[in-house]
Amino acid sequence: MSPGTLARLAMAGNRTDAARVTLTALSAALATLAGLAALTVLAIEKPPGDAWQHSEQYVNGLLREPGLRGGTAFALVLLTIPVLALAGQSARLGAPARDRRLAALRLAGATPGQVTRIAMLETGLASLAGALTGLAAYLVGRNLLHRPDANGQLALPTDVLPWMPAMAAVVLGLPLVAAVATSVMLRRVTTTPLGVFRRAGRTGSPRPWPGLLIGLGVLAAAMVEPIQWALKGARVDWLGIVILIGIFAAVMGVILGTGWISYLAGRVLHRHAPSPAALLAARRLTDDPWASSRTFAALLAAVIIGAGATAFRASFLLMAQIEREESRAAGYGDDAGPLNSFYLTTMDLVDLAVAVALTIAAAGLLVTLVEGIVSRRRGYAVLVANGVPRATIGASILWQVLAPVVPAVLVALGVGYTIGRLFSGGTGRDGRTPGVPVEQLALLGAGAVVAVLITVGLGVLFLRGNTAVEELRAT
Amino acid sequence: MHGYELKRAYDQRLPQVRPLAFGQVYATLGRLLRDGLVASTGPERLTGPDRTAYSLTKDGRVTLERWLGTVEPPMPYVNSALFAKVVVALLVVDVEQARAYLIAQRQAHTDRLRELTALKTAPSATVDEVVAADYAIAHLDADLRWLRTTLERVADWHREVRA
Amino acid sequence: MTKLEARGLVKSYGPTPALRDVTLDIDEGEIVAVTGPSGCGKSTLLHCLAGILRPDAGEVSWRGHRIDTWSEAARSRLRRTEFGVLFQFGQLVAELTAAENVALPLLLAGTGRRAARAAACDWLERLGVAEYADVRPGEMSGGQQQRCATARALVTEPRVLFADEPTGALDTVTGEQVLTQLVRLARQQRTAVVLITHEPRIAAYADREIVLRDGAIDHTGLGLDAPLSGGAR
Repeated sequence: MSPGTLARLAMAGNRTDAARVTLTALSAALATLAGLAALTVLAIEKPPGDAWQHSEQYVNGLLREPGLRGGTAFALVLLTIPVLALAGQSARLGAPARDRRLAALRLAGATPGQVTRIAMLETGLASLAGALTGLAAYLVGRNLLHRPDANGQLALPTDVLPWMPAMAAVVLGLPLVAAVATSVMLRRVTTTPLGVFRRAGRTGSPRPWPGLLIGLGVLAAAMVEPIQWALKGARVDWLGIVILIGIFAAVMGVILGTGWISYLAGRVLHRHAPSPAALLAARRLTDDPWASSRTFAALLAAVIIGAGATAFRASFLLMAQIEREESRAAGYGDDAGPLNSFYLTTMDLVDLAVAVALTIAAAGLLVTLVEGIVSRRRGYAVLVANGVPRATIGASILWQVLAPVVPAVLVALGVGYTIGRLFSGGTGRDGRTPGVPVEQLALLGAGAVVAVLITVGLGVLFLRGNTAVEELRAT
Repeated sequence: MHGYELKRAYDQRLPQVRPLAFGQVYATLGRLLRDGLVASTGPERLTGPDRTAYSLTKDGRVTLERWLGTVEPPMPYVNSALFAKVVVALLVVDVEQARAYLIAQRQAHTDRLRELTALKTAPSATVDEVVAADYAIAHLDADLRWLRTTLERVADWHREVRA
Repeated sequence: MTKLEARGLVKSYGPTPALRDVTLDIDEGEIVAVTGPSGCGKSTLLHCLAGILRPDAGEVSWRGHRIDTWSEAARSRLRRTEFGVLFQFGQLVAELTAAENVALPLLLAGTGRRAARAAACDWLERLGVAEYADVRPGEMSGGQQQRCATARALVTEPRVLFADEPTGALDTVTGEQVLTQLVRLARQQRTAVVLITHEPRIAAYADREIVLRDGAIDHTGLGLDAPLSGGAR
């Protein structure tokens, strides 16, 4: 197949396909921006001086202090997680129509490899377009925002440009990763000339092994302080890697563990299902427990980070309080140190990032929900024709989403808080420990669940249109 | 086998087939006897006048096997009163009469089809009856399809016939 | 006693008329075939009679009550209790087992899990697919799925079963087996059946045939002189 033909076939499609391509490109653009921003932060050169020498040209402490820059970059990279999850979820948008088209291509004589390449090319080209848009936005943005204030200080590191090969790696690597991810996702989807058989070879039920990953993450977090203690405060670069791996392991553990949670929730629900709606939901959960893992991945990652942030905030608050008490005892009045107000402002920024991530995750969830409804529309239409109230179908969708998400969010809160608590250094200077910020954790968990509820509500609105009698026509 | 037993077997195994008269059974047996295809296996004239038993001769067995081995010519001629009647109606009278005949025939076919289907789906139906009914149903079904399409085409056909 | 009546049904999809003034009666326990060429309005008529669609004009009555004016919820309840619906294919919930699919209408009606399962297995047995009770639809053949769907349509012992090309996706032998079972069971519990088909030999399973053409009744299988409504049986 010539490249031209390949490109033509990859870009064929209807409006839903256009929406999918647009969303993919948009996610790629956002991810590129986040990646380039992280690179820029890392590109800031440390001025001569000791290890703690600040870069005085910036307003924000996150950029000035060399010790904080790594964390800032890491937080920016973390923001790409929900964005990429959104991209993954939008990949399923209009998938039945695309599957039919790919099957038609197979019928016309395309090999399985060619069909996979077509799908890869669609995602790859869309992501490349998005990444280039992101690069353009970055380059334009850094020129527009390069405005030193009265003190000659900069709000953003617009004076440095990342290392060129690194930028190229982000802009070109992202589409490549997206294309490879597509081929991996299509791995189980054998597009035959007669249609699509999914779920080939999925055997066995999920096991709670991902719990080990969570344990690994918590262990890594618990080891950080003793190691630092043992090394007597000497800076060790590999410790940062350990921390990153630990957090990553815990996040993956929670996400993968959701498969097991939803399988278990399905089993329990099936045994005690109080209604046909719960029965339907239970069967769907046990049938494809990994669907929940995929659907809630971004949401759970955001909740873990958010819960970790509450631990840090609690620790900072305790430090601020101790400082206040000490300064009062020393007779300096009631002022909190500027350092602590800085930390708390930083935490506000982190919370904002978490809120943004939750919103993006909820958008991805909506895409998945609507797609699920659309792909089952004939079945739903038949149920409605048989007198099943739409409310029952709506309730089954609600059950299906809530049954796994509530326990999963609780686990995510627990894991996130534990890790955050261990990293933030357990105790204050006088041996006091920060209390568990129950209120904030509850707020975070409730926020996540409410976001899910809203998306379910929006998704169910699509039910009416998709249970219309037109779906019943025999031919 | 006696002539009476043959007639019984015929009626039982071939339901829905044109009924067979006793006279026809004996006339046929007489012809087969003449050609040497069956032989009488001894006169058992003890209880009645017509209790002669017959059996196949070697020739008869060969002839039977040859008949069974011969493929029936698949419809060499269109040979149907149904078809002929519509053509004649178009030639002699008009479209309306031909159409009226087709509609009446369709009704009769449909009724017969329903009758046979009821017979076949009755809980007491034997495989014999089901197989025989299926044969008739398939033919009626084919006729009905033809009637239906011909009803659509009858005006065009009339024009062609009269041209 | 006449149970299901339609008077002067009219239904259009945009500018395309699907039904133009259809009037018919269906008696208790009567099996009526609705036939006609593709696009003649067969399915639309069934959807109107079953209360899935509302006609643009005309009325549909069930046991003397007009149902076309009822709310969607009330009609849903009617379909769940008094009516059963059977389609050509793809009507079972893929994630539920055969027994759960059949039990679904009973569960919706508030029957307990155990009783519903027992009734479902009983119906699967009657349709000869008892051994598939704990199997998902994806692992069954088309004929087995359709038997399972028939069991689901009959499990509530409906008064009218609406079947839209129920054998359309099956081979001749399997189709006849399914239909024979359906007709036998319907007669046993005196369920009326509205059977939509374009095949004369399937229509022959009915007591009566109504032929639609361009959204109106062309003729009924009662002889040419019978009234078009076919109500004077």
